[in-house]
Amino acid sequence: MSNFLQLIRNEQMKSYSQISNWILYGILALLVIAMAVFIKIEGQMTDGSETGEGGDWRQELQAENEQLEQQAEEAPSFAASNEEQIAMNQYRLDNDIEPRGYDVWSFLQENRTNTAVISLFTIIVAAGILANEFKWGTIKLLLIRPISRTKILFAKYASVLVFALTMLVFLMVLAFLTGSAFFGIESASEPYLYFKDGSVHETSILQHTLLQYLLGSVNLVMMATFAFMISAVFRNSALAIGVAIFLMFAGNSIVAFLSRFDWAKYILFANTDLNQHLSGNPMFEGTSLGFSLGVLAVYFVIFLCLAWAVFTKRDVASA
Amino acid sequence: MTQPAMQLQNVKKTIGSKPIIKGLDFDIYPGEVFGFLGPNGAGKTTTIRMMVGLMKMSEGDVFIEGKSVSQDFKSAIRHVGGIVENPEMYPFMSGWKNLLHYSRMMPGVSKERIEEVVKLVGLENRIKQKVGKYSLGMRQRLGIAQALLHRPSVLILDEPTNGLDPSGIREIRSYIRRMAEEEQVAVIVSSHILSEMEMMCDRIGIIKNGELITIQTVNEALQESNLKEVFVDATPQEQAKPLLQEFTESEVKSDQNGLYVTLTRENIPVLVRKLVENDIEVFSVSIHRSTLEDKFLDLIGEGAIE
Repeated sequence: MSNFLQLIRNEQMKSYSQISNWILYGILALLVIAMAVFIKIEGQMTDGSETGEGGDWRQELQAENEQLEQQAEEAPSFAASNEEQIAMNQYRLDNDIEPRGYDVWSFLQENRTNTAVISLFTIIVAAGILANEFKWGTIKLLLIRPISRTKILFAKYASVLVFALTMLVFLMVLAFLTGSAFFGIESASEPYLYFKDGSVHETSILQHTLLQYLLGSVNLVMMATFAFMISAVFRNSALAIGVAIFLMFAGNSIVAFLSRFDWAKYILFANTDLNQHLSGNPMFEGTSLGFSLGVLAVYFVIFLCLAWAVFTKRDVASA
Repeated sequence: MTQPAMQLQNVKKTIGSKPIIKGLDFDIYPGEVFGFLGPNGAGKTTTIRMMVGLMKMSEGDVFIEGKSVSQDFKSAIRHVGGIVENPEMYPFMSGWKNLLHYSRMMPGVSKERIEEVVKLVGLENRIKQKVGKYSLGMRQRLGIAQALLHRPSVLILDEPTNGLDPSGIREIRSYIRRMAEEEQVAVIVSSHILSEMEMMCDRIGIIKNGELITIQTVNEALQESNLKEVFVDATPQEQAKPLLQEFTESEVKSDQNGLYVTLTRENIPVLVRKLVENDIEVFSVSIHRSTLEDKFLDLIGEGAIE
């Protein structure tokens, strides 16, 4: 076991010795800060027009609701989306919960979209971690040690997950710091409202945010595992990156295109977004959280088994 | 004789239906340098890859210190240090980090041991530099350092002098000899350059088209064939040629540079005296090549690949 940790240390050392790795961190940092700046500028522009009305938030919400109802009557196509907003506003009025200003928690939550960027970066790392050893020729020196190929393979996989986790923590910490600096910290104990199954629910903002990040990581882990598998099977990082990124972006379209078939619910991408079950409107009728987790687990095991079978059995021929 | 450090037993490799290695059987003993000689494509690298478990054997087995490579890989390979083909290292890390990387993969390699090995190969001044900035010779040395980290009893070096300048070659040769003599390491060196092999090996196994043709002890082979081809630069050539012919049964060859004659070592001074006595001006007499080389070339057949 101890030499498994040593192997992970080795992988981390190799990955942080490469400049490309630091560039990925730089890009992520830039995205977070740029996002904060844009939101700040945008907020200042709208602030100027709205604070003029001044007054009580209750009156504002009431006015908004009336406006929304009116709009729904005039154009019924808006009804569904407006209904959600009206219910939320009504819930606030009924329970005396003041709407939240834009603060660090809102910013942190908005940054969950950056998990897609981390997915992209993790794919790049996962695709290279094995294929590069073949490209550099160092695989030969790596495999003539008293360590089984299985252990080397899984140390590399674990190292990919460590990288993804490090990036996620980096994102959250940076988003928190940037968010506090730009938007200030309001109480984290204030409830967060969300709409599910036709009614409004309350949860703590912190819990909600962490859950969103966790759900975003599902897609990340699956795509990284996929890229890792392609890299182990074909020993070509460009191929692994290309295919994985293509599927990541095209995945939802593929599912939508095939959605008239019943078996489409078994497609990986029909299940990577677990939010569909938590918000109560799954992509396919009759699927549940358990079903999606099961499908994901099967894909996960297949990817790793394929990578393992090919990597441990195949000869390392001339590079 | 002592227990062999490495044994090959009927090692075969078939890729598709094509036999690449057709059954190799030989032992290598502690403290000897074993040369693995053959033309390009003869199967040297494939054999070495099988020895270290990078390729699976189709049949047969390799034993290192009595442990089977195919059955008990971890116990067998821990006695082996090696370079397979080029000494490829991580170019974006320093030499030190590269060694640290490999040291973590083997039990019982301390920081002091890494320093010791670095000193042994003479890289102490450059070890903190990135490997990408190293010359080929320095990479070759780092490759040897990484192979020696865990004090292996078998050292496998595939083409260790590839791309080195003459002084580098001499240095590597002296490391190899020292390893064998002082540490009783069994060293396996592959090459397609005979003259290099003659200088550093105790025994030479010749492989051609996947078969071991012969194993020669270098000293024996040298004694056995005492005949040398000698180059003589003397004027006038026409007068020298018949004198030279008296020493040999084979024909004396000549070109614009001089004359080539095959004779035994003892006869060389006699020949020189004879030339001088006959008022022929001698500019140079040197051994052009030993007939050992001819012998090997006959065996190998000038590098034909099937």
